[in-house]
Amino acid sequence: MISRIFPALFLLFFSAYSFSQDVELLNANSIPLELLTNANAVVRYNDISLDISAYNRMTYTNQRAVTILNSSGNSKHRASVSYDDNVNIRKLEARVYNASGEEIKKIKKNDFEDVSAVDGFSLYLDNRIKYLNYTPIDYPYTVVFETEITYSSTAGIHNWRPIEGYYTSTENSSYTIVNSSEIELKIKADNFDDYGIEEIDKNSFKATNLKSIKPEAYSPPFKTYAPFLKATLSEFDMEGVRGMNNNWKDFGKWVNDKLIKDTQELPLQVKEEITDLTANAKTDIEKAKIVYEYMQNKTRYVSVQVGIGGWKPMQARDVDRLGYGDCKGLSNYTKAMLNHIGVNSYYTLIYGGREITNFDKEFSRVEGNHAILAVPNGDDYVWLECTSQTSPFGYNAGFTDDRDALIITPEGGKIVHTKEYKTEDNLQFTKANVLIDEEGNISGNIDIKSSGYQYSFHQGIENKTQKDQKLHYKEYWDNINNLSIEHIELVNDKDKILYTEKIKVSAKDYGSKSGDRLLIQPNMFNKITSIPTRYSERKQDFEIDRGFTDKDEFVIEIAPELSVEAMPKPVLIETKFGSYVMRIEKNTDNQLIYKRTYILNKGYYDKSEYADFRKFKRNVVKHDKAKIVLITKT
Amino acid sequence: MKKHLAIIALFLIITATYSQDYKFGKVSIAELEEIKNVNDASANAAVLYKKQSISFQYSQGNGFQQINEVHERIKIYNKDGFDWATKKIRLFNRSSSSSEELNSLRGYTYNLDNGKIIKDKLKGEGKFEEEANRFWKNSSFTMPNIKEGSVIEYTYKIVSPNLYVDDVDFQYTIPINRFEFKMQTPEYYVYNKLLNPKAAYNPQINTSEGRGSLTIRSKSRSGGNLRSNTKTNFSENKIDFKKNIISSDSDNIPALKNEPYVDNLDNYRAKLILELTSVQFPNRPFKNYATDWDKVTQRIYQNTDFGAQLDKKDYYEDDVNTLISGVTDNEKKMNLIFDFVKSKVKWNKYYGYTSDAGVKKAYKESVGNSADINLMLTSMLRHAGLKANPVLVSTKNNGIPLLPTRSGFNYVVCLVEGTQSVFLDATEEYSRPNVLPSRALNWQGRIIRENGSSEWVNLLPNKSSKEITSLNVKIDEDLSISGKVRSQFTDYQALRYRNKFNNVGHEEHIKYLEKDNGELEISNLQVKNRDELSSPVVTSYDYELFDAVEEIGDKLYFSPLLFLANEENPFKQETRNYPIDFQFPIADKYMANIMIPEGYVVESLPKSEGFSFNDTVGKFSYLIKENGKYLQLVINFDINSSFILAEDYPYFKDFYKFLTEKQAEKIVLKKAQP
Repeated sequence: MISRIFPALFLLFFSAYSFSQDVELLNANSIPLELLTNANAVVRYNDISLDISAYNRMTYTNQRAVTILNSSGNSKHRASVSYDDNVNIRKLEARVYNASGEEIKKIKKNDFEDVSAVDGFSLYLDNRIKYLNYTPIDYPYTVVFETEITYSSTAGIHNWRPIEGYYTSTENSSYTIVNSSEIELKIKADNFDDYGIEEIDKNSFKATNLKSIKPEAYSPPFKTYAPFLKATLSEFDMEGVRGMNNNWKDFGKWVNDKLIKDTQELPLQVKEEITDLTANAKTDIEKAKIVYEYMQNKTRYVSVQVGIGGWKPMQARDVDRLGYGDCKGLSNYTKAMLNHIGVNSYYTLIYGGREITNFDKEFSRVEGNHAILAVPNGDDYVWLECTSQTSPFGYNAGFTDDRDALIITPEGGKIVHTKEYKTEDNLQFTKANVLIDEEGNISGNIDIKSSGYQYSFHQGIENKTQKDQKLHYKEYWDNINNLSIEHIELVNDKDKILYTEKIKVSAKDYGSKSGDRLLIQPNMFNKITSIPTRYSERKQDFEIDRGFTDKDEFVIEIAPELSVEAMPKPVLIETKFGSYVMRIEKNTDNQLIYKRTYILNKGYYDKSEYADFRKFKRNVVKHDKAKIVLITKT
Repeated sequence: MKKHLAIIALFLIITATYSQDYKFGKVSIAELEEIKNVNDASANAAVLYKKQSISFQYSQGNGFQQINEVHERIKIYNKDGFDWATKKIRLFNRSSSSSEELNSLRGYTYNLDNGKIIKDKLKGEGKFEEEANRFWKNSSFTMPNIKEGSVIEYTYKIVSPNLYVDDVDFQYTIPINRFEFKMQTPEYYVYNKLLNPKAAYNPQINTSEGRGSLTIRSKSRSGGNLRSNTKTNFSENKIDFKKNIISSDSDNIPALKNEPYVDNLDNYRAKLILELTSVQFPNRPFKNYATDWDKVTQRIYQNTDFGAQLDKKDYYEDDVNTLISGVTDNEKKMNLIFDFVKSKVKWNKYYGYTSDAGVKKAYKESVGNSADINLMLTSMLRHAGLKANPVLVSTKNNGIPLLPTRSGFNYVVCLVEGTQSVFLDATEEYSRPNVLPSRALNWQGRIIRENGSSEWVNLLPNKSSKEITSLNVKIDEDLSISGKVRSQFTDYQALRYRNKFNNVGHEEHIKYLEKDNGELEISNLQVKNRDELSSPVVTSYDYELFDAVEEIGDKLYFSPLLFLANEENPFKQETRNYPIDFQFPIADKYMANIMIPEGYVVESLPKSEGFSFNDTVGKFSYLIKENGKYLQLVINFDINSSFILAEDYPYFKDFYKFLTEKQAEKIVLKKAQP
């Protein structure tokens, strides 16, 4: 699925209490042993202080020292600042120290590399980055970084992450906000208790000796369990525009009034066209579908990030005239057209990504990295991903599904949960008729139908060249060597959101020979081979964020020269994580029917259950490679 | 009469279909109606027409400036072709005197609406310019109103004060229907030209001559003393000169298509490479830039950032003298100096064959580019009495040096000649004598000796890098398998291993080995010679494998290489256009010693046999025998070449088919009759 997010323009600084006078902290030998385990870098101190003097004036000071232990830790010094016209960098300096704490290099402001803030998907951004480009001479080494920046925008107050990421431990970190403005400051700290982080004064926090965290398979997103502090003002400035933020309702109202309201105008011709196109449609949803498809055919995604902090959508009439826009522009354009024909829809701010990230119900502030559109449908909503020219109407699986997002209504903002794709609806049904000849060669027809979340894994194959389609299937069935793809027929039914693949294949020597026996794995077309990583001591809980159902039914015809000597017994495994049912029936002497149903449930589990989860998956893998033994008739 | 009309009408239709108007703005309905590219139905977009003219214009004060004019008309067939509606042009922006400018950008998008052509202009809002970094700025634009079927057209001009001419791409990743190219250079500048010989598509290039002229205005002053006023005299001087013209009209240029395991796709692109070889203005000295490889090399040698860097020694003399004092053996001296440079000066990831900071500064600050480091190394080795010389290299991402030009190279390594010649590159932590980082392993390099003479030297390794693995297999009563694996990696395989695992923690390393290998548990992992670069990396570990043996009926089935078997053929394409890059020759050996479990006897064993590819280029042998309570298996796998040619691909694929299938074959054991 092609969906694109927009860059989070602020929020990126890693955000100062002061440990910075302690020279012992520049000596790599003084790091406590427990902080060296699983660490590529150790934050010796990171002092962030913010001074807010008015709704539109904020000074950020950061002093930090990071000891880099090996080359994988090189990027962890984070000696960089992102800036634009509203930012004044008053101080920027770095010093590098060797292992024993002697200064070996000093980097002044003008010696920082200055580059455009390339995010990998925008054609243009008006942000730039100054960063330290240092070639390490030896490990470990320590980088001390000091900066002081004043902002007139206060929409994005620097967060605090006492643990800055995986494989990074923290010796000392502190965060202080002094608010001398009349504006109310709100602060929220998540997961502080688990890490013994203290509040030493009002709006002043301190963390010491936080061990590094290692990533583990199936763990929930880092930010859901790592300590994290965010702050916001009830009135803020976003590039010259004054914003309100007492709660989500308030904030949403501001977005509506200042960012959305005056961008809705459309050319007359488009209005007429839309009116005509939807004249015969009966329901609002039917109308929305026509408008969505009209937008898909008329536009494409181009990301150009200018305008208020990258938060204000392009004018709808400009999107119409140019035929392109980013997520904000395209969503807003679609909204404008729906408005015109009297269909209600809400501009929606959200975190887009495979990983599920929620808006915090309890804490309103400038959030999100993506915009979509919500069309009310009874008590529910239809979610429109407007950056995709190919996605079916209302399809948002895998990118904006199942999470809390902020819808912007004329009355204000509201947190709403987006569509969850259920285990039973995320179905892939594979049917096959296969012939096994005397030599163990196979040939057959396969029919795969996918829907729900699983639709997203198959959709788009039809757009590949024939050569790439063939390669795709060779990779898809990489358990079959010498696979030859003879015919491909694909139907992408966007109305039903159902993807159908009819493939004709053959493969030489699929069966492995052992004397006069032929070993055949009956699960040819949907074999699972990967078992979750083993941990001697699992540290984090684990999560299966989306469930699915796989059904398989293969009719296997065996050459008359062969007979079945042995075949696997039926299997039925039922666990809280999911289930696995497999049975092979002998229909006639030379015809077997292989049936398999594998269900993986969505769920959040305690780390103590990880071993059971692995056991379940291990059993699936084991039974997926079960074999039938065929023997040449004598 | 009626008949007559019909003929004319027919005639008109034919012309309408077959003649195309390439003038800017003359986009036809036929072009807009086209659904697929005639020559390549799979194309998402196609260049209907491209025109590029490079010329040099004289202006007073600036001298000759390079003008590169581009006109492109592109058809977008479907949504996957939309990216072609956005173009990014990189402009050199190092200093005001060398900055390139993009100007005269005009563009339109054409769409068809009910049989009528609708035209949308590219306006300022669709044009962007940003300073990417110290060296480059990006000029980009995106066309308005792109739909499936749109035709876009744009022209722009790049004005450059530089004489360096960028490679002219004759091939894109989409087909080009027609390309008209013309380059006119004043006789004062002589360019060498070459078409990429590795490209599958080769355009026809024509050369001719033309005339040009320029006017120089000069002023002189006279007088200006107490008795007379200053007088300024103006004069104009018209100078005629000859122009050299290179042109090419090409039709139906196929798209350049990518494949897996290609070293660098750009190596296979049809392109015209141009290099300034000399400059000769009337009444001025002849300046030679390059003519043949000898001269190119000589010129590089004379460059103060190259040759002179080799001669400086005061900065290291004392340190190196101390380092090698008392050592007489040349190889020992070489190793000492090599290790010294590696630990002393670190590579800043900048390429180049000329010194950036200067060797002295690089030495002092412990940071340098590839030339700083390897020229310093060469100089020290010479100082120690070794026959060390720099070797100019084009790295893999720079392509293969095709033309005798200075820009053909972008890197330098060191060669010590003796009974056995040894390549050295001190930029990489884990490189060793004769084990260069893979970026430098690009065909051949040019050695420059102290007397200034030069010649080609082969960079491709001819010695096989080895992986030798032994495996003990014991099947327990519960059909789990346990045992020990010991592996040895030499040369490039050791380099690869160190790069991959030296920074990886113990636990992660185990996870990596266990990953996707079924129910495998690894313990007691030991890695020897991690940093002892002169010795092979030796790893060993114990394993337990719970799902490798299958019991069907009263028989046990398992493949003897267990989780070490490579059972999937990575080569899935039917045919190939470009060679497969293996980087270095390989010699792998696996030895398995399998204990037959109590109460079982052998029912059948895989057949001992071998296959080869292209005589001895690829060899695979599989030998298994029963020896008392044990089964012994030895597998040898050799690839004796760094490259497998595209035309040999089908055979190579078959060779791989055999060896993957062979590794999947099972041993069958059955219960012994009591």
